[in-house]
Amino acid sequence: MNNENIIEIKDLKKTYENGVIKALDGINLEVKKGESISIIGPSGSGKSTLLNMIGALDQADEGHITVAGKDLMEKEDLSKFRLNEIGFVFQLHNLIPNLTVLENVQTPLIETDIPDKKMEERALEILKSVNLSDKINQKPTKLSGGERQRVAIARALVNHPSIILADEPTGALDSKTSDIILELLLDIHKKENVTLIMVTHEHNVAARAHRSIYVLDGKIKEENINSTS
Amino acid sequence: MKFRSLILKNIFRNKSRSILAVIGIAIGVAAVVGLGLITDDLTQSTESALTAGAADFSVINSTNSQGGSGGGPGFGNDQLISQSAVAQISQVKGVSTAVGELRTSSNLGNSTNSSTNSSSSTGFGADFRSMTDIIGIDSSDLSMDDIAVTNGTAFSNANQVIIGQTAAQRLNKTVGSTITISNKTFTVTGIYETGNFMDDRGIVMSLSALQNLTGDTGQVSLILVKASNGTDPTALASTIQQNYPNDLSTSTSLSGNNRMQNGLQVISSGAWAVSLLAILIGGIIVIVTMMKAVSERTREIGVLRAIGWTQRRILGMIIGEALVLSLIAIVVGLLLAVGIVEIISLTHLLRGINPSFSLLLILKGIGVALFLGIIGGIYPAYRASRLSPTEALRYE
Repeated sequence: MNNENIIEIKDLKKTYENGVIKALDGINLEVKKGESISIIGPSGSGKSTLLNMIGALDQADEGHITVAGKDLMEKEDLSKFRLNEIGFVFQLHNLIPNLTVLENVQTPLIETDIPDKKMEERALEILKSVNLSDKINQKPTKLSGGERQRVAIARALVNHPSIILADEPTGALDSKTSDIILELLLDIHKKENVTLIMVTHEHNVAARAHRSIYVLDGKIKEENINSTS
Repeated sequence: MKFRSLILKNIFRNKSRSILAVIGIAIGVAAVVGLGLITDDLTQSTESALTAGAADFSVINSTNSQGGSGGGPGFGNDQLISQSAVAQISQVKGVSTAVGELRTSSNLGNSTNSSTNSSSSTGFGADFRSMTDIIGIDSSDLSMDDIAVTNGTAFSNANQVIIGQTAAQRLNKTVGSTITISNKTFTVTGIYETGNFMDDRGIVMSLSALQNLTGDTGQVSLILVKASNGTDPTALASTIQQNYPNDLSTSTSLSGNNRMQNGLQVISSGAWAVSLLAILIGGIIVIVTMMKAVSERTREIGVLRAIGWTQRRILGMIIGEALVLSLIAIVVGLLLAVGIVEIISLTHLLRGINPSFSLLLILKGIGVALFLGIIGGIYPAYRASRLSPTEALRYE
């Protein structure tokens, strides 16, 4: 593996329903550390499946995939890998409704052996960076869509992951809030030098990444280096 | 935030569901403890009644103890003992008192003042379904058989009887009533209780009166023996048995003991059957509510797996929630059991029973709650931990 590459994917294939549906059909991709990538394509093209493979939420049938030095084709529990290397941001934020903002951000840390006080300090620090210091004791139901997504971003960052995987992070937001969230993600990506991979439908969002990958029928059809990033 | 804080917060997240689960477990705890409160005291009071009488043991014909054709020892077709043996046993060292008693049974049915005995020439030992025990013992020796007259007086001649409380109710007799047994009419002079509801279904008359009635003059069914102070009743019983190896057999329990023990076993088995049913219902409620809880949180479990939680952590969270519910249910169940038993006690339905808590009973209740919590939680927890993160995240 090239030392500069944090993700190396070779001829990755994944099928569902006994091979009837080809979700990924020979994906080849290399991503450098600190790079930002947008994956774009129509529904069912395989972009979310590719994101799930990189995040070790699912395993491929064939090919090779190495992320942050970990061979994800190995049959083993990859929970620790996800905990240490990956930060997920979902379209629908997926916060736990009965926990406060501060508690939601701390949930990944429960799996670590970090002391309670340190856990809280780290969560507060991250919440400050996403401008939510005044909302720490609120429940998610009391927050706006943009605020909820900022909490989700804070939760994704709290473990200092090397890669942020964002699945349609602005898909459920209005255009103004969408811009704010996108700016926040790109800002964190730059400041923390964290690799950012976004799945999106929106071309204007995709164009903000270093590189855009167009996926269709489980294959990468096109790659563009974006000048606006 | 601590893991246990998250578990506690999850418990109070859907209050109605948690209350339902607590009720499910509490039903099981309350059934086991409540029924235990009643049956334990019933067993203790009955055993106490059986063993606290003046007689320490009884002596019967050895043929009966080897499994004769009759019912319990001293009943029906049981072999009798010569009354002279009473005097002989009285002379054995260590014997304080030895009293002869004749026992038989008669079908008196529910008809007033009429004997309904049929098949036997004596009218005794005929129809087992509505048999009344007839006991012949001298009135001065009633205490040897734990018989205490609670209403009226003991019999003073051969035309008088006393009747057990259960028999009095069944035959509709009271003090002053007459009763006909094998064509002879007796006057009821008293109602007795033994503390043993099985023995309270009999009629007691003088030994000679029953001997005359049955034609068993000079014979008894059993000899009630009380050991003198400082003598071990068990050792004394062995000595007597050794003295009459081919004729007599000793029993440290009274003749009704076996039937009583059988009765208690039936009550105890019934209580356990009801408890098991309650435990089963409680278990189903817990499994259903926990499954619902897991189902509602499928997407959330997917998120937790995505952010790095292990299968073991998910398993621990769901079982932890089930155990917390169990702990709450222990308190609710114990209070429920005590409350219900106390309320029933006020209605006099438990007359003669004084329910009291024992550590064992509390431990049983705790055991049931933890069992239900673990069993009820383990399957939903297993299901939750095995959820594929991608499928869970797609769950609507």
